[in-house]
Amino acid sequence: MTDRRRINGPSGGTSAPIFSKYLAKTPNELLERPTRSRPNNALRKMFLKTGVTPSASGSAYLELEASKNPKSTAPGLSSPSTSGLKLTCTVHGPRPLPKSAPFSPHIILTTHVKYAPFATRKRRGYLRDSSERDLGVHLETALRGVIIGDRWPKSGVEIIITILEGEEDQWWGDGIGHGNTAAAEWGMMSVLSGCITVASAAIADAGIDCVDVVAGGVAAVVKGSAKGPSPNLVLDPVPSEHKEIIAACIVGYLPSRDEITDLWVKGDIGHGNQNEDTAQSASYEELADSAVQAALGSHRVLIAALKETADVKIGRS
Amino acid sequence: MSTTIAVPGQLLGATTDFLPGPGTHIHASSIHASILGPISRTVPPKPAGPSKRLTKITKATPEPLPTISIDRDISEGHGQGKREIIPEVSSVVLCKVTRITPRQANVNILVVGESVLDGDWQGLIRVQDVRATEKDKVKIFESFRPGDVVRAAVISLGDQSNYYLSTARNNLGVIMATSESGNAMYPVSWKEYRDPETGANEWRKVAKPF
Repeated sequence: MTDRRRINGPSGGTSAPIFSKYLAKTPNELLERPTRSRPNNALRKMFLKTGVTPSASGSAYLELEASKNPKSTAPGLSSPSTSGLKLTCTVHGPRPLPKSAPFSPHIILTTHVKYAPFATRKRRGYLRDSSERDLGVHLETALRGVIIGDRWPKSGVEIIITILEGEEDQWWGDGIGHGNTAAAEWGMMSVLSGCITVASAAIADAGIDCVDVVAGGVAAVVKGSAKGPSPNLVLDPVPSEHKEIIAACIVGYLPSRDEITDLWVKGDIGHGNQNEDTAQSASYEELADSAVQAALGSHRVLIAALKETADVKIGRS
Repeated sequence: MSTTIAVPGQLLGATTDFLPGPGTHIHASSIHASILGPISRTVPPKPAGPSKRLTKITKATPEPLPTISIDRDISEGHGQGKREIIPEVSSVVLCKVTRITPRQANVNILVVGESVLDGDWQGLIRVQDVRATEKDKVKIFESFRPGDVVRAAVISLGDQSNYYLSTARNNLGVIMATSESGNAMYPVSWKEYRDPETGANEWRKVAKPF
């Protein structure tokens, strides 16, 4: 369905044009794929802060460091190869249910995930599309296992996430005819992991009872580089940094209970020895375990951010 | 201040050492925090001593366990970041009458305990819950009028939209009322309010002021 109420931009990509003379001048700088500079088991730097929206019951902001082309001298944001992640989350409630809603002995959880129109290189519409609704459903699954719903009868809570800067699904250069074009939506995985982490911080800020703080984590099997041809298992993958991602896994993990509330695996994995590529790559369990490791990393950031929140609220910062 | 902050899921202690208070939950026979906030332990007051001389040897009563809880209202006095609270059974609420029918009075719940509510919570006082005696003679229009502020107790979470409230106690009932001519009235008896300007009396289920 098209949005008739607003004047919409073109539905295709609207990235700034690159002129051929500009390409010719510095071809290396522009057309070089960003490379992963951190070790395979390291996460990107993460910034998390709660209480960013005063009018909401709880809110949080999450930012992941943008990956830079190591040779690029331009500041991070103006470089065309950036791929960061910026999310804001607001929690409204617990508030009364609408009159038409049936009696509910526990809290009703509603999640909304929306990309800002400018969040990715390919412009997003104003209405939520199917991938955004998909993210919302996954987020709800991840959070429902954490919230103690019985403490808040007859009430609803709304969790709204706006993605200000989304992860790209592939390197932008791949889109213009260099390398493979068959990219799946790999960016969604990191986005969902970020959504889980940021929502968990906002819920704790809102004071809704939870059994634990749920943290999101992603791991992926990527095709090896020229140096090491065998597939690698990496934590917190940035899709634009890898030529080909074989499989990726995202978990919503409860560290103090050692439980998983949401698990989503995408890609080609777990066939045993059928395929030459996957024969050397990691198994399904290894991939999930790595995702849990990534979740543990973001959990540490979460705990630190929450303790900071409580300190500020008590007034002894 | 030496309070320690707990985050949800944090282990607070075993159920054999503490009693779970508000803001905690039990998982695998140990107490975990369920909200973010400072941990507080309250030790029950010890009895001053045996009230009468012991004449026989009895088993020592086990020492009452301290209660461990998480303070929900951690930002008191800071204005922003207020905690949400919802009406529970047996909590005393202040509400405003919006509509009356012969069977019931519809109210908006404004305050629970000491905290002002944010949302629009609906309540209902049925005719049989207005007072404790002579329930069959109660008439809603002789007990409440739209606009009255009522102190009531929650007796049930009710149906899909309304909490069920009761005023069947001496200290519950109308605490603020305006007369038909629009003046604030004062209570003169357990069932009457008087308008100070016209001197006319109106019927209400009056809350005992003290």
